[in-house]
Amino acid sequence: MQLAGSKELVSDVIKNDLCIGCGACVSLCPYFKSHNGKTVMLFQCSRDKGRCFAYCPKAEVDLDGISQYIYGRPYGAEALGNYITVRSSRAGAAAGLKFFQTGGTVSSLMMFALRQGLIDSAVVTARDGVKGKPVVVTDASKIPDYAATGYSAAPVASGFNEAMNAGYKKIGIVGTPCQVNAVAQIRTNPMEAENFTDPSGMVIGLFCTWALDEGAFRKILSGKTDIASIKKYDIPPPPAGVMQLQSGSGTIDIPLTEIREAIPGACSYCHDMTAEFADISVGVFEGKEKLNILITRTRRGEELVQAAVSAGFLEAETLDDKDISGLAAASMNKKKRALSKLSLENKINSAEGISVLRMNSDTLKQLETM
Amino acid sequence: MSILTDKNAGKTALLMGNEALVRGALEAGVRVAAGYPGTPSSDIIENLAKVAGERNIYVEWSVNEKVSLEVAAAGSFAGLRSLCVMKQNGVNVASDFLLHLALSGTRAGLVLIPCDDPGSISSVNEGESRHFARLVEVPLLEPGNFQEAREMVRWAFELSEQFRTLVMVRSVTRLSHASGNVTLGELPESDAKAYFRFDGSLIDAQTGPVITAPVPMRHANQQKKLKQIAEVFETSKFNTYTGPENPELLIITSSVCSLYSVEAVRLLKLEDRVGILKIGTTWPLPEKLVKSHIAKAGAVLFVEEVLPFLEENVKVLALDNIEETGIKKYYGKIDGTIPSVNEMNPDHVIRALTAILGVEYSGMSAEYEQKANITMFTKSPSRELTFCPGCPHRASFWSIHNALAMDNRDGFVCGDIGCYTMAILGAGFNSIKTAHAMGSGTGIASGFGKFKMFGMEQPVVSVCGDSTFFHAGMPPLVNAIHNGSDMLMIILDNRGTAMTGFQPHPGLDVDAMGNRAEAADIAEVCRALGATVVTSDPFDIAGTREKLLDTLENGKGARVMILRQICALSPEKKGKRQYEVRVDTSLCRGTDCGCDRLCTRIFRCPGLVWNKEGGHAQIDEIICAGCGVCTDICPAGAIIRSEVTK
Repeated sequence: MQLAGSKELVSDVIKNDLCIGCGACVSLCPYFKSHNGKTVMLFQCSRDKGRCFAYCPKAEVDLDGISQYIYGRPYGAEALGNYITVRSSRAGAAAGLKFFQTGGTVSSLMMFALRQGLIDSAVVTARDGVKGKPVVVTDASKIPDYAATGYSAAPVASGFNEAMNAGYKKIGIVGTPCQVNAVAQIRTNPMEAENFTDPSGMVIGLFCTWALDEGAFRKILSGKTDIASIKKYDIPPPPAGVMQLQSGSGTIDIPLTEIREAIPGACSYCHDMTAEFADISVGVFEGKEKLNILITRTRRGEELVQAAVSAGFLEAETLDDKDISGLAAASMNKKKRALSKLSLENKINSAEGISVLRMNSDTLKQLETM
Repeated sequence: MSILTDKNAGKTALLMGNEALVRGALEAGVRVAAGYPGTPSSDIIENLAKVAGERNIYVEWSVNEKVSLEVAAAGSFAGLRSLCVMKQNGVNVASDFLLHLALSGTRAGLVLIPCDDPGSISSVNEGESRHFARLVEVPLLEPGNFQEAREMVRWAFELSEQFRTLVMVRSVTRLSHASGNVTLGELPESDAKAYFRFDGSLIDAQTGPVITAPVPMRHANQQKKLKQIAEVFETSKFNTYTGPENPELLIITSSVCSLYSVEAVRLLKLEDRVGILKIGTTWPLPEKLVKSHIAKAGAVLFVEEVLPFLEENVKVLALDNIEETGIKKYYGKIDGTIPSVNEMNPDHVIRALTAILGVEYSGMSAEYEQKANITMFTKSPSRELTFCPGCPHRASFWSIHNALAMDNRDGFVCGDIGCYTMAILGAGFNSIKTAHAMGSGTGIASGFGKFKMFGMEQPVVSVCGDSTFFHAGMPPLVNAIHNGSDMLMIILDNRGTAMTGFQPHPGLDVDAMGNRAEAADIAEVCRALGATVVTSDPFDIAGTREKLLDTLENGKGARVMILRQICALSPEKKGKRQYEVRVDTSLCRGTDCGCDRLCTRIFRCPGLVWNKEGGHAQIDEIICAGCGVCTDICPAGAIIRSEVTK
């Protein structure tokens, strides 16, 4: 992998429609800002190398290096990435959640981790209309306030940077795969800072097939309803083919074909549906109402889940391979689509210039022939 | 007592060109003076305002140049000698009235002094006012030195009264702002009473209505006057010749260019070969005088600023009289011997003379010149144009730039004339992308704001100063409101016509003479016109940026934001610091990644400097104005401000 600076971040990522607005480059310096879901650079910086570039999940992501750091092995070709156990889950009674979108698994785990002191802060996403913005929470009772699902890309990784700036040492974060990949890079200390210690306490990833550009999404919604009055966004399982909004004027269905127009170009380059570098990944269990799929990937992730189950914060059942075959196929499809696009545009393992991803050639070959 | 009102005639004093012009007007018994500020003209009205009480003169800063000429014309119509003053491009603003005034004629002496700025030292153009004299058909005088500046203005009033026409006396920066010896003349005691008579014949402007009709009659009359004036000019003492009887080369020149010509001829020791005809009465030309000098010369060189005005007029004159003048070679701007842009100087004249006459001259050795050039580029510190320490404009443009960048739709700013024009440069973070005449940014924005129908999604912003708002900012705002243009007009209200020296404008409660005046509230004016108005203190950079982002995203139609903060150099603020500011060097991140010297690399207030040895920012305590804005800029919180206890 090669390190570059803000100049390349603007020319190769932002201007190249690769930026997803995850916020990894924001809150590190006075130059990058996040506004309305977009990352902008206010002024030119003169550094050749910077954390902004090093943390970006769309520029020179060294999958082997990260995998080595988190799992102690190079990046592999498994559809769901490295994992320990896959379960179905939902919030337990002890969590006392009144509202949650699907199974409440994420909110329960974050609350529990904060209460137990496994994390000293939690970076979650606050939703305001279609806007999402990161919030650093330290009071576990506030976690349920941020339980709603949003679909527009938000600069959540900047919240991680802000928590680091504030001096937190065991930061918990809930994010989409791109945001988790940004955090994974931060954890590997790519700029080789002295006296560095991994500031993450627990990383919870959310399954994601695409996000929406905030501005484009707002444009789609603006003619249909008062955006400020929208209480809930949901995409019911196929074959519904719609996004359902609950707003002041009742429930509105918008065809997914229309919604897809707002998907940023960056999502089509994303190989990661299940947040492979999280400690725990969580998503909707399709076909099972009010249940999540819960993947534990690391030792600390598995320990948190077991403790949460023991304490009654979580209800969980182990799933076997056939229960997750659909998920694995979807994940592999996304991986292959992205890799073929990246290869076609010479944006993976490129010999010259800046590569979006880098991985060992064995894994790449395996994935390409699967 | 001011030297301007010194009663000792015959006394010689060192006067600035603008003071000499003022003295001339006082000696002519001027009663009314009006103008709009603009370098290099502003100190004429200011000096008159200072002696207004003593000399019983009405002096005003008008809302713009056109109105100032109308006010001065009223003085003339009422029987009072009147003076109007403006910078070169002001004449463009006044030109509509000027055209009509030339037709209607005047009564008591009426003199217009335009001060041109060749080389645009303090301008965003180097327009020439001389052409207006030919265009609207009024006489034009050009003083060639300080003594002439006094004498010519005095005479201009007499000429104006003799022919009942406005007379232009054109100055330039190097006359207005330089100083020289002037021998004073008598100061008259005048008891002129104002009365406007209109009971006479419809076609007699002296007793009847002052109008332009019937146009063909009055137009012919004005042209007849010019012919008579040309006759008077034939014997004017302001046209001088020095040199041999039959010069090899005749320099025809005017204004300060005559001084450059004298210097060049002397340096080259060409007094025996080159003659200098200095014309003080530039339009209409004294035909007999000019042709007789051409007839005796071998060739002719024109030295003038900026465009070939004398050159063209003399060439037409010479062609009409070719039997007397003979076929001569003419050198000047048209054949490229002399540049037709920028100001003139002795070097330009020397270059022309050496080329025409084949003489050698080198002011410095080639080796020295090369060394000097290298030293200039490598050793002299970079001193770009920038805003003063504590200038509200820097803070305003910081927020404007950042809001437009965050808005992320390639928004841009249309500017006009003021200190804030410097926002074209790094001083204002290169925010201004169009810059033309007073108020033009808002007019251009009004146009841009209508192009959504052609797919233009870029946010459109204009900036306009408070004085400029009254001068020329209201019509384009009304235009934008009426035509439903989607644009934001930002009024940078620093409480005065700051760039030219804090002359009052209609938004302030004081007039040119220091008397209490009615103040128009800009926000109320804009609301009355139909705009939504938001006000912010530019020193509150976070709040200002939020308000800007809000109106960029959610605002509709033509709207106004007023960024109000007094100019750092204004008399009421200068030298008074709100904050003591210091840098906590333990917090300053220096050149580490994460900041990259935002303060001294981007924000660049001259009051903030980079300590290279220490690797940290520091406050230049001598020039820091104590505005405290840099505290909010520093991402490390290393710039500490504490309120000054009063």
